[in-house]
Amino acid sequence: MLSNEPMIAPDTKTSLARLPAGMARWLALWEIASVVTSCLIAEWAVLVFIGRSKLIMAIPVGLAFALMLYSHRERDESARDIGLGAEHFLGACRLLLIPTALAVALIITFGWFASQGHFGASWRWRFVALPVWALFQQYVLNGFINRRAQMAFGAGMKSIAVVAVAFSVLHLPSPRLAVLTLVGGAIWGFVYQRVPNLYALALSHSAVSLALALAISPYWLNGLRVGFKYFG
Amino acid sequence: MKLPSTNLVHVLIGKAILETVLVGSLAILGFLTVLPPSFHGSGEVTDHGIAGWAVNSGSPWERVEVQLFIDGKFFATQVADEPRPDVPTARWALDEWHGYVFEINSLTIGPHEARVYALRTSRQGTKKSLQQVGAPIPFLVGSDGIFRKPPDAK
Repeated sequence: MLSNEPMIAPDTKTSLARLPAGMARWLALWEIASVVTSCLIAEWAVLVFIGRSKLIMAIPVGLAFALMLYSHRERDESARDIGLGAEHFLGACRLLLIPTALAVALIITFGWFASQGHFGASWRWRFVALPVWALFQQYVLNGFINRRAQMAFGAGMKSIAVVAVAFSVLHLPSPRLAVLTLVGGAIWGFVYQRVPNLYALALSHSAVSLALALAISPYWLNGLRVGFKYFG
Repeated sequence: MKLPSTNLVHVLIGKAILETVLVGSLAILGFLTVLPPSFHGSGEVTDHGIAGWAVNSGSPWERVEVQLFIDGKFFATQVADEPRPDVPTARWALDEWHGYVFEINSLTIGPHEARVYALRTSRQGTKKSLQQVGAPIPFLVGSDGIFRKPPDAK
C-alpha cells in the first residue's frame, strides 16, 4: 500500500548523531580530564609499576594525542585556529616579552643568591630540543586545554584558572614547580586567549625552562623532576 | 566551529576503557615482577634456632637469599644453600641445596615468633622486596636455652 510519506528518507544520521548543545560544556571538560589523566598515567602509573619504559609511556601519550587530533577534526579546528600559524606571532611576542624577561631575571637573581654567586648547572645538549618540547606542552596546554576550557566557561578568569590548575597538577608532587607552573600557566593562558600563537608561547616557555635548568640548583626544584620520578 | 558528534563521546569512552586496561595490566605486571608467586618454603624450630628451606620455582637453580625476623625485628640474613634432600624428593626443586639454618643464642626466655622472608631483587637491582616463605614459626625459649614448639602449635 502506498503511503503519503515522502520517498526521501530523512537524514537521521546527522540529526541524531549530533549532541545536544547543553552537553557541549561537559564534553569539553571531559576532554580536558581525559588528556590530563593520560599525562598523569604516563608520569605516575608507568613509572610506579614498570619503571622508565619509554615505549609503555608512549601508549597513554599516544592515546591523548590521538584524542586531541580527533577532537580537532570533529570540531573543524584548523592548525591556524589552534595557533600553529604565523598569525599573531609578533603580537604574542610583544605581549610575552615583559613577563618572560621579568621571570628570567627573577630566576637568575634568585639562583645567583641561592647559589652564592655560583651557577653549578652545566649546559646539556638536550636543551637544544627544549623549544620542541615546549611547543608540544604549549599545544596540549593552550592549543587543546585552553580551547576546551573556553568552550566550557568562555574566555576569561575561569578558563584561565582551568589551564593554570591543569598545568600545575601535571608538575606535582614538586611543590615549588607546581606553584611556578600555576603562575606560568595563568600568564600563558591569558596571552593565548588574547593572541593565540603557540610558537611565541613555546619561545617564552623555553626561555623560562632554560633559566630554571641553568640558574636554579637541583636542590630547589629537584632537577625539574615531576610525577613519580620526583622521588628518585 | 561545528558541534561534535556522538563519535567523540564514543572515542572518549573507548580511550577511558583502554587506559583502565593499561593501568590494570601495568599493576598486575608490576606486582608479579616485584612479588612473583614463585617463592616457596618452610621453616621449623630446632633446638637452637630456625631451619628450613626456600626455593624460587621460577628459577630452580637459584639460591634464594633469606632474612630471619624475630618478633618483627630483623635478626640475620643468609643464602639458602644448605643441603635439604627432602626438597627435591618432594619436587620443590631440582637439587638439594636450598636449606637454611639460623643459629640463635641471644633470646630471652619465653614465647617468640620467627618469620622467614625471601629477598627478591628486580629491575637491575633498583627494587628489593621481601616475601614471606612458609608460615610464621612460634616457639618458646626455655630456661635451659632449648627452643621448643609451643604446646598448642600445629
